[in-house]
Amino acid sequence: MPDDALGRAHGVPARREPVLPNGVLGMLLFVATEIMFFSGLISAFVIGKSNAIGGWPPPGQPRLPVEETALNTAALLASGVALYFANRAFKVGAPTTKRLLLLSIALGGFFVLFQGAEWVALIGEGLTLTSGQLGGFFYLLVGTHAIHVVAGFIILLYTYRKLSHDDLDRFTFWPAQIFWYFVVGVWPILYWQVYL
Amino acid sequence: MRFARAGVAAVMVAVAWAADFAYACPSCASPLEENRQAFVDTTVFLTVVPLMMMGGFIWWLRRRMRAMDDALEIAMPENLLRDAGPFSKGR
Repeated sequence: MPDDALGRAHGVPARREPVLPNGVLGMLLFVATEIMFFSGLISAFVIGKSNAIGGWPPPGQPRLPVEETALNTAALLASGVALYFANRAFKVGAPTTKRLLLLSIALGGFFVLFQGAEWVALIGEGLTLTSGQLGGFFYLLVGTHAIHVVAGFIILLYTYRKLSHDDLDRFTFWPAQIFWYFVVGVWPILYWQVYL
Repeated sequence: MRFARAGVAAVMVAVAWAADFAYACPSCASPLEENRQAFVDTTVFLTVVPLMMMGGFIWWLRRRMRAMDDALEIAMPENLLRDAGPFSKGR
């Protein structure tokens, strides 16, 4: 079969890259459902908060650590920024990819550990899942997010392992990034609604 | 056809009216203004978020498809591009 000047075989359509890889489409659909899930939780919280007699936070309940969590929020946001630069470095094959990805993972890990320590302190102060509306909503919203952070952390570790073995392609890295950006992006909204 | 349309309109009005009797509006019975406002805000929020997501996705997909259409399908040697003239893709 003779080829034309562009190197394409006659009668055979040229293969082109898919507009959206399957992994990315799947992750986008998953994240869309997650956004709606968190929107529902936040809406329930907003209505519960507005319905509270005696103001919010309810009297007699421990106060949430606003300043400490602000630091933790900054760590999670920095993790998202590090991942963004890791992707830029990955696109051009720069050796800094590994370090930036590791930094992103480390900051994510710091967030989880910090939050764990915060929970231990709050439980010690008497804020539990059954201590009242504040405790119930707090552990539901923040706990659900924490599960997502742990899942994202594991996904990033997996991508790091693949990168270490020179086996990481952008079709694997891209969905992992989408998930982590979602985890990072939803946290400031939760912080604003729950802590402030 | 005209009767059918009028019938549908009448049913819709009746349903909206019945909601008042049934206390189907959860926020209408609340004595707290803040609570009523929270219901309105969250209703708007939960309506707008999926629409924005769908709209954003379609817009992004369209942009990406256009960018891919404009891009070369295969890598071309420079000399071929030069020979193709000033109106060729990639110039």
